Amino acid sequence: MPLFAHSSEAEVTRAILAGFNRDLAAYAETEVIVIGGGPSGLTAARELALNGVKVVIIEHNNYIGGGFWIGGYLMNTITLRAPAQRVLDEIGCPYEQYSKGLYVTPGPHACSKLIAATMDAGAKIQNMTSFQDIVMRENNRVGGVVINWTPVEALPHEITCVDPIALECELVIDATGHDAQVIRALEKRGLAKRIGEGGMWIEKSEDAVVEHTGVAYPGVIVAGMAVCSTYGLPRMGPTFGAMLLSGKRAAEEALKVLGKSPKKPVFAWGEYSAKPSKAVKSRR
Amino acid sequence: MPSRRRRSSPADNRLIARPERVYLYDDPAAPTLDVGVLADTVKDVLGLNASVRKEFFSYHRHGAVEDLANRLAATKVRSMGQRWVPFEPIYGEVQFERRLLEDPAKSAPGILYDGHRLMRLCQGLLPPKERTLGVAHLIFTSRVVGTWEDDGRYHARVNVCGFPSLLSNTGIVEAPAKPKEYYLLKRRLTNPMGVVPFEQVKAPFAGRFVDYDDPRLTEVMKGYVLQCLFHHMTGEAFCEEPRCRLFNAHWQAEVLEAQIASGRLCLRHRKIAAET
Repeated sequence: MPLFAHSSEAEVTRAILAGFNRDLAAYAETEVIVIGGGPSGLTAARELALNGVKVVIIEHNNYIGGGFWIGGYLMNTITLRAPAQRVLDEIGCPYEQYSKGLYVTPGPHACSKLIAATMDAGAKIQNMTSFQDIVMRENNRVGGVVINWTPVEALPHEITCVDPIALECELVIDATGHDAQVIRALEKRGLAKRIGEGGMWIEKSEDAVVEHTGVAYPGVIVAGMAVCSTYGLPRMGPTFGAMLLSGKRAAEEALKVLGKSPKKPVFAWGEYSAKPSKAVKSRR
Repeated sequence: MPSRRRRSSPADNRLIARPERVYLYDDPAAPTLDVGVLADTVKDVLGLNASVRKEFFSYHRHGAVEDLANRLAATKVRSMGQRWVPFEPIYGEVQFERRLLEDPAKSAPGILYDGHRLMRLCQGLLPPKERTLGVAHLIFTSRVVGTWEDDGRYHARVNVCGFPSLLSNTGIVEAPAKPKEYYLLKRRLTNPMGVVPFEQVKAPFAGRFVDYDDPRLTEVMKGYVLQCLFHHMTGEAFCEEPRCRLFNAHWQAEVLEAQIASGRLCLRHRKIAAET
């Protein structure tokens, strides 16, 4: 008796097509498109999906997760500083405290958990798909993105003519890392500007990455390392914690733009960088 | 380190202006800063009438927050190695400033501001009756302020003396140099991705520098307040005596020596203070 149920090659092909077509048709018009499936993009998409927002991630690689699989020096232990470990709690990823306020976890565990949690929340992922351009509407409003298969980029332009397709949306989140591809596309049209990475890296600079996460152009939110490139923050230094919290902040801002009140607080543990409150004493 | 390194001379210490009132503006992002204590110090040491006001931009807010956010963003230093030139801030930079204005308890110290541009902006927000040398304004902030120097780059500062004076609670941590061994350890522990495990790097040197939310912040800032007021009154902020509160410290060890170990003015500056 055969181990697997019988199915013909044609049936397998039809099954692939049916599933793919169903999803692509559904997400040809959506609320939010996240460009980039790294830690900030995944976190943003998960939070939005948890809040009932229709969201799809466009990832140009076959694999999802960006740099979240490995830590420094290609070693696959990643570090997170408090309070970013709370995100690991939320996605059910175990971790250990290395020292006060510093947590470690295997990259593959954290990354796979984050991907699964994002999809469990209801976000869709379109991988091997490259962002090519933005769709502009009246008054230079961003109305969607132009995409194509990633392998098409590898073909010589002179002998290929593979037209892209477009997806419509209300909001685009640029989580493309250092490239800041969406902002770059706006820059080419003279609509936005990247300052480029630089600036001074001091102990609390990660806060600046999270605080700069938000609307960079009407209809476009910038998150993760794309924030550094857009606003002239340091290229090196931000840890994964900043990427995760930047993703959460992007979702928070997206909900505001969409006019939706969160079903669950994006920062369930309160303000992401809660400090002791200060009682102001007035003396004369 | 403070904003200027000019040597003092006896001629510098002639009284130019004695402020009738001193206003100290709070920084809600600095939980260990007690501006009330600093106001008392001003009264005790200089005999000046000092009082506390809430955060500067909340106190002197005129017009739309968006406009102020735009003007604040325009004082940013975009490149440490390039002198400030006028620029039009981009949308997100303005929104960032708007968020900080709406919630002054937030701080985001990764941005450097041109101290003199920021000072000029603050000056423009003062009501005309307070825009006089008869009033000294001391603005505490968690923003990092810097000044362009002759070596062709910006330097972060603890205070930028002027009218009004700026005092940075982030600057006191980041501007004066920490022990040399700190930087060697930092380089050794920084991973190839550029991530610095600050807690690990700082641990062996705990207490040897002013840290974020340091309980000694108020005590340390007393000297920087006095520097600003001496600058206001005499045109000279600093003293060459390492144990004087007005010493222009370049190292954290010097800061702690002048502000904690000594914690007082030198004899010469005590005399000047008495004369005020």
